[in-house]
Amino acid sequence: MTLRARLGSLRDLGLAVAIALVVGSIAMLVAGVNPIVGFSSLLDGALGNRSELGETLIQTSALLFPALGIALAFRGGLFNIGAEGQLVLGGLAAGTIGADLHAPALVAIPAALLAGAIAGGLWGSIAGFLRARFGANEVIATLMLNVVAALLASYLVNNLLHDPAGQSSETALVLANAQLPVIVPGTRLTIAILLALAAAAIVRYVLAETIFGYELRATGEAPEAALRAGIDVRRTALLAMTWSGALAGIGGAVIVLGVLHRFNGQLSPGYGFVAIAVALVGRLDPLPITLAAFAFGILQSGAVSMQAEAGVPREIVAVVEGVVILALAGQRFLGARKSRVR
Amino acid sequence: MRFTVHAGEIHALIGENGAGKSTTAAIAAGTLAPDAGTVTAIGTVGLVHQHFALIDRLTVWENIVLSREPRRGARIDRDAAIARVRALATEHGLAVDPLALVGTLPVAVKQRVELLRELAREPAVLVLDEPTAALAPVEIDAFFVTLRALAARGTAMLVITHKLREVIDHANGITVMRRGAIVSRREAATTDANELARDMVGGELPALAARTATVAGTCRIAIANLATEPGAGALRDATLHVDAGEIVGIAGIEGNGQTPLADALAGVIAYTGTIALDGIAMPPSVTPAQRLARGLRVIPQDRNREALVASWSIADNVALGAHGSRFARGGRYDRAAARTAASAIVRAYDVRSGSLDARTGELSGGNQQKIVVGRALAGNPAAIVAYQPTRGIDVGAGALVQSRLIEARNAGSAVLLISFELDEILALADRVLVLFGGRIVGAFAGTAIDRATLGALMAGAV
Repeated sequence: MTLRARLGSLRDLGLAVAIALVVGSIAMLVAGVNPIVGFSSLLDGALGNRSELGETLIQTSALLFPALGIALAFRGGLFNIGAEGQLVLGGLAAGTIGADLHAPALVAIPAALLAGAIAGGLWGSIAGFLRARFGANEVIATLMLNVVAALLASYLVNNLLHDPAGQSSETALVLANAQLPVIVPGTRLTIAILLALAAAAIVRYVLAETIFGYELRATGEAPEAALRAGIDVRRTALLAMTWSGALAGIGGAVIVLGVLHRFNGQLSPGYGFVAIAVALVGRLDPLPITLAAFAFGILQSGAVSMQAEAGVPREIVAVVEGVVILALAGQRFLGARKSRVR
Repeated sequence: MRFTVHAGEIHALIGENGAGKSTTAAIAAGTLAPDAGTVTAIGTVGLVHQHFALIDRLTVWENIVLSREPRRGARIDRDAAIARVRALATEHGLAVDPLALVGTLPVAVKQRVELLRELAREPAVLVLDEPTAALAPVEIDAFFVTLRALAARGTAMLVITHKLREVIDHANGITVMRRGAIVSRREAATTDANELARDMVGGELPALAARTATVAGTCRIAIANLATEPGAGALRDATLHVDAGEIVGIAGIEGNGQTPLADALAGVIAYTGTIALDGIAMPPSVTPAQRLARGLRVIPQDRNREALVASWSIADNVALGAHGSRFARGGRYDRAAARTAASAIVRAYDVRSGSLDARTGELSGGNQQKIVVGRALAGNPAAIVAYQPTRGIDVGAGALVQSRLIEARNAGSAVLLISFELDEILALADRVLVLFGGRIVGAFAGTAIDRATLGALMAGAV
């Protein structure tokens, strides 16, 4: 990307955030709260002390994995709306292995993460296969697979995989060896954030430097040219969706192994959907996506204290997030219109 | 710029791609606002588009009366509309069936519908942007007879084209544009094609590479009974071969099977019949990657969609197609090697761009095509399929592309040239085959090519 294009997209992003802040302020005013108090309690709640910053980084890692997956698929021309379902099944698989596999941490943690990646990857590959084999629209396929994933997870956790000793609707506690180690004492922050940053670096490397990344980008940007250049665009679509789902699955796995320590219904407040916004705000580029994940992490973790301290309903945060997305989409639409008129 | 078109005149506006012809047409017709200056027209102005602005899923009469439908209450008065279209068609001698669906019509008839739609507004001035681009030679003559009749009734006609032959044959005054400005005014009666071409290019036409003697008889591309999925413009039963060291030109009007022929060779559509390269059969199951590896290179018609990734740099685009072989090191993309190869092409083809990092989407069509052709011809391929290789590019870049194709032929490649420009085929081909209705309907060798016979075959008159 040229410097000018970078500055242009930064300006677009700044404008979108500004619009979102204005709309969020209006929403707070309607709710009878001083927006300055509201936003400052949000920031304070997200970044005010070590433990709060830790919570923000936990949210960041939970968003970063699926956002990277979504970006990977998107760069290949596929809109993966199904990260939520892939994340849920990844979390369930990791929780199951983590609770059952008696092994040292060096084996148990990778095995549980791998289980999450495989579960998410397989779930993503269903949409990839339908797309490659039958040309099925991946947006609709992944959207519907979210529902199937939620029901499947619910069925499994209530029947085959539930904790015989505990309540229904949750798996057994993850064994200590499979729990992700905390890296900052006094917080719940685990190596998940390091894994997420490593994943961002790997995705960046794969996209920019490997033949697979080259073929993926060609397929996404110019499918006809890619086809004629000998690229197997169907295989690329299948692989893109599989890896996309695997990343989302690891996202679910780190929440289970690092925070909840078991799979249950609290796994995701919609990380897979917020991650779509993270990926788009980050312009599908791993480095800005990482920053965007942090920004959305602040919103997610600050929302609770904003509600507690300033009495602002936490749904205001969803409004702010939604407006950012709408504003960015609007700019893209207006940009497309402008260039067409010209 | 300043020029005038008089009532009763067929005035031609000519120039290279990018000279500003279509912009002038759009301003003259009022669809584009000028930054400065004025357009004065006595009466209304109609514009016939280069790419027909017709709605395929509506009938002929619906297209013609669109936005000016005769009404009966809130409903369209269908009978009145059809009668009006019939009367209009008869009045101008343009035979059309008002009830036919536009999408099912041949190009020449669509052209008539497009013309009738403008004539229905009774324009005093008619601007026609590349009106003959999709017509066969005989159809072009008939088309100008119609225009001449309209001119005789007092319509002023501004025809925008790049085909010098029809300008000289059919126009009165000629205005030549280059780089957004008028460079000369000529009268068709007192000028010739060479003079016009020099005006357009701003100097002598670049010479083509000389063809050297090649040894005939080694068949490289053999195609037998090739047919593609039935439908409009399908390939029905094509048999042809191309030897090493020769250029075989496929002449024909657009839509007679050219696209399926190129796509079947590229391996991106299904087909029946056989294609063999250097004696080895290539059934449809042979992938595009395998075809590339065997030395079959296809220069597609639509470089922006089918050949280049617009947002990518020149270097990354040069790697496309050989990215998994020449430019791969392990699983890594060898960007440095791509840059080296790209700078060689930039030098050899005189690609004018700031740097190898320039995005191809920002280059002119001529420079884009130089990259596409340079990439395709790299490494002495066994066979080259060039589909409209000079479409939409300037004369200088076109001559360079044509010269490189001749040089590839001299070096022993088999070149299949598919073009809608008869002049291009006649300038380059050792043999000419005529494609009509998905079949090869005529073959001409060497210099014994009769333009009139060729034109008749292209129009399907056997």
